[in-house]
Amino acid sequence: MASPYLECREVSRYFGALAALDRVSMTVERGEIRAVIGPNGAGKSTLFNVLTGVLPASGGRVTFKGWPLTGLSPWKVCQRGVSRTFQFTALFRRLPARENVRLAAQARSSGRWRPLLGGAVRAETARTADLWLERVGLEHVADVPAGLLSHGDQRLLEVAMALAQGPELLLLDEPTQGLSVEETARTVEILRHLLAKGSLTVLLVEHDMEVVFSLADRITVLHQGRVIGDGTPAEVKRLPAVQAAYLGGLD
Amino acid sequence: MAWGLALIGVAAVAPLVLPVFLVTTATEVMILALFALSLDLLVGYTGLDSFGHAAAYGLGAYTASLLLLHAGSPLPVAVGLAAAATALVAVPMGWLCTRTTGVSFAMLTLAFAQLLYAVAYKWQSVTGGSDGLAGVPRMAGPFGVTWFTSRTGYYYLVAVCLAASYAFCRAFVASPVGTTLLAIRDHERKAEALGYNARAYKLAAFVAASFFGGLAGALYAPFAGFASPELFFWIVSGQVLIMVIVGGSGTLIGPMFGAAFFLLLEHYLSAVTDSWALVLGLIFIAVVIFVPEGLYGLVRRRPPAVARSRPAPEREHGQPVP
Repeated sequence: MASPYLECREVSRYFGALAALDRVSMTVERGEIRAVIGPNGAGKSTLFNVLTGVLPASGGRVTFKGWPLTGLSPWKVCQRGVSRTFQFTALFRRLPARENVRLAAQARSSGRWRPLLGGAVRAETARTADLWLERVGLEHVADVPAGLLSHGDQRLLEVAMALAQGPELLLLDEPTQGLSVEETARTVEILRHLLAKGSLTVLLVEHDMEVVFSLADRITVLHQGRVIGDGTPAEVKRLPAVQAAYLGGLD
Repeated sequence: MAWGLALIGVAAVAPLVLPVFLVTTATEVMILALFALSLDLLVGYTGLDSFGHAAAYGLGAYTASLLLLHAGSPLPVAVGLAAAATALVAVPMGWLCTRTTGVSFAMLTLAFAQLLYAVAYKWQSVTGGSDGLAGVPRMAGPFGVTWFTSRTGYYYLVAVCLAASYAFCRAFVASPVGTTLLAIRDHERKAEALGYNARAYKLAAFVAASFFGGLAGALYAPFAGFASPELFFWIVSGQVLIMVIVGGSGTLIGPMFGAAFFLLLEHYLSAVTDSWALVLGLIFIAVVIFVPEGLYGLVRRRPPAVARSRPAPEREHGQPVP
């Protein structure tokens, strides 16, 4: 209990002279759904990329369940139980939707290094895949190559892939990016169902304030690489700094 | 399945009915088919376009030749050891080459193959220099087995090696490691984000491809009776790449037909015209432009027409079952 579930301490990331993240500190409790909001260029995606080892941090450290994540390569971060989706849909486009989810499940299975005789591993991970396709409502397109799915279905497929890994911490990078109003409503509905159990900790980057306020337990506000606000949705809405920087015309 | 059995039947009977020179041609076709098959693991399944696969071929051929000439190893032992040695050399080579992708990977593999070409050319005392190693014997044994030393026997040995290699590669690409290679081919960063150590998987593919490429080279030397530096040359790397692409990469079967197509075209066209390479080049261009999935892709049933995911608004939300 000594250390927080996920902790960023003074995390910085520079691109040349630009501080994309400027001594960002935040803690996320277990089971919490935490949204990270901020205008374009606030450093939200950089934060995700530093958390998942895609970009090395220029300073500071990240710990997850007391273990350092900083300095680990992306695949090691994932094997620690941290799964993510990408802001710009990243799928195995030539492979069927089911195989996409199956590969996600296989990555966390002990049989992933079998070079031969993987029948049992395949069957087991295929069952997991079908389960998650059903949960996000994509079972009817299981055999369609991922690249041919509609944009909305692709976004959901990414979520299904991340969840099929059985992560402890889930990073969702704008899951409703580029979706129509109806698709957004459907995605939020599905996410709400999936996250209701409370065993999963979620970090959510999102532009759509309605989505943020309907899903998040707490919100962290980033602006020009700095944390300028942190609290419950109601508290964050009231923060003057937040209103000035981001929510200006919202209420 | 029925197809495969029929093919095995034909291959088994062929040497009994074919004229002698065609048995030789068929043996060479099968050796090159094995070579192309091995490259498909890299090109088709991992998305790594090697332009130096001749390195494996030459290493297999020279290792087998040295074992047969100087150590007096029985042929099957020499061939097996040569393939294993090639895989071993492929570990450090692959470790370096898989640091890169795309054109850099192609150039690095090319550089390694050319380096080995230079070694084979210059290291006179071991490799025989520009003359290569001649008079590579088909040593009998072990246990007094001799059936593979004859022309027909050697045909069967190569056929068995090809069939076994194909069966292994088929199982490999369907395995967890093999399916991961396809994921890396499609989106490496995503595969990494899912927890796959992409570089280790690519190295595994490189070593596997080198093993079978080495096996093909090891079978070639006692077939031809010699090993020469040209086996390492970039033209060989280019030719096997053409076989894979013309045949249809990512199918295992396609590249084998590509090898047969290439060799038979060379044999028959070169009898008619000196410009046979021109014809081959034109065919290659036509395939790349009009049938990018390769000749085998033409034959194979096309994937079902674009299935559409249902438009979102019409869908009921479906009760997700958490």
